[in-house]
Amino acid sequence: MSALLEVSGLNKHFGGLQAVRDVSFSIEPGEIVGILGPNGAGKTTLYNLLTGFIPFDSGSVVFKGRNLRGLAPYRIAGLGISRTFQLCRPFIGMSVLENAVVGGLGAQGIDRSDLDQRALALLDQVGLGGKALLPVETLSYGDQRRLEIARALAAKPALLLLDEPFAGLGSGEINDLSALIRSVHAEQGLTVMLIEHKLHEFMRLVDRVIALDFGEMIAEGTPEDIVRHPAVIEAYIGRGDEQAEEQTDAA
Amino acid sequence: MFGKRIDFAGAAGFVAFMAVLPLVFGGNYLIGVLTVSVIYGIWAVSWDFMSGLTGRENFGHSLFIGVGAYTAGFLNTKFGFSGWWSLPASMIAATVFALIIGLPTLRLRGPYFALAMLSGAVIMQRLMLIFWEQTGGEEGINGIEPLIHSQLGFYYFALATLVVTTALLLALARSHWGLILRAIRGDEATCQAAGINVTYYKIASLVISAAFAGAGGALYAHYQLQVSPQLFAVVTSITIITMVYVGGMASIYGPVGGAILLVLLTELLRDFGEWRLMVYSCTLILILFFLPNGLIAPTWRRVKAKLGRPQ
Repeated sequence: MSALLEVSGLNKHFGGLQAVRDVSFSIEPGEIVGILGPNGAGKTTLYNLLTGFIPFDSGSVVFKGRNLRGLAPYRIAGLGISRTFQLCRPFIGMSVLENAVVGGLGAQGIDRSDLDQRALALLDQVGLGGKALLPVETLSYGDQRRLEIARALAAKPALLLLDEPFAGLGSGEINDLSALIRSVHAEQGLTVMLIEHKLHEFMRLVDRVIALDFGEMIAEGTPEDIVRHPAVIEAYIGRGDEQAEEQTDAA
Repeated sequence: MFGKRIDFAGAAGFVAFMAVLPLVFGGNYLIGVLTVSVIYGIWAVSWDFMSGLTGRENFGHSLFIGVGAYTAGFLNTKFGFSGWWSLPASMIAATVFALIIGLPTLRLRGPYFALAMLSGAVIMQRLMLIFWEQTGGEEGINGIEPLIHSQLGFYYFALATLVVTTALLLALARSHWGLILRAIRGDEATCQAAGINVTYYKIASLVISAAFAGAGGALYAHYQLQVSPQLFAVVTSITIITMVYVGGMASIYGPVGGAILLVLLTELLRDFGEWRLMVYSCTLILILFFLPNGLIAPTWRRVKAKLGRPQ
């Protein structure tokens, strides 16, 4: 089976800072892949390069056999890559339902005749069914995160990029949300990439981890391999004191 | 469903009221004031469709009004076209200007679009004076033929144009298309992440807005029977924005009420003589201070909620 997403030799620098250096990986259909790395490792920049929000300097990104170089963000999204943002960015002044509906208005080649019903069903699925008609400003932070995911799913994406979906959530909310990600993955065979700091949840959720540090890929493998990988321990977890690092991360 | 029926009844009542008003009170003066208020309504609704929905404020709506009016004036007096060509021709001319300003500036975020519209209107006003041999300079173009000879007939035509404009733009604003425009107001990056070509929608909505403003300009030309550079004045744009604020931004129908209310208020305050502008401004400040969401649309929503509640 050919890869859904094929990234090779990706480079990006901002002035003198090499934000992403020679990153290459591929994502198979149906995988859940985690991107791991300390702050400033280039994880969000990598997402911005993949989705066209920032143009890359060199390298290539091929999605479903199509080169994405130079395509505008809306074109890439239209091809089937949906993303969420690290900071929630709902459409202020609109209802929760309207927010979810907009998510399905840009994708190419999907049937929009039942979009309102489908958006409602998605809100039910993420646990916002009862809040569909509320103004989006009234949602709590956790609910806004769920809405981000419902909005992204409304486009019926082939690949979903989640940027720190658990940031700022309590442990109960994290459990709900990871159950949700698992269920959409299982039901729709959706391919998911996620960036996360909360090691514990992350490790249980993903099939494979790509670890970045200072813009470079330092390791790739199963979650079990990654936590034992010397380069990852040095860069991210630090002197083998995993517990302590996770504490500071959560704080 | 019930809400829609109340909306329809409200709209029908409003149109009937506007249609009967000159029959009850009569007089060419009142018909004149109502005609102007209805034309301002077209301008305010068209402004709200682009700027109210997408949040990209247009400080030079008078550009499209002036272009539409001068198009009507030129075609009618210099080329001898019948006045009925004025409406489609002015819509096309305004569309061309919308593309000239929108294509380069609406790709960018920030104040470029607002500033380009403002300076576009000012530049056009100057150009009308510089090329006075063609445009008639300060005097403008005189001798434009009336569309309909009866003043009451023309008022009804303008009212019908307002109704059609509002109905079309309201339908568009309440469709998925309008939802995208409101989403652009919310967050452009999220729109792009949802696969929406933000630039296309902003330019398309400006083109639609300009076309109806241009049509209103042509109507105004055939009402005044002359056009002058004053049509491009910044104060016209500001008046229109005020009408939208009073009516209720992004509601589309609210600005109709805002326009009629403010035009009537201006006339009612004639008795105040020199104090008129002062009273007018204070009234506006009070309305906007106590009702930051406007007067017309929020009031209508409250009425609807009361009627919709089971007894």
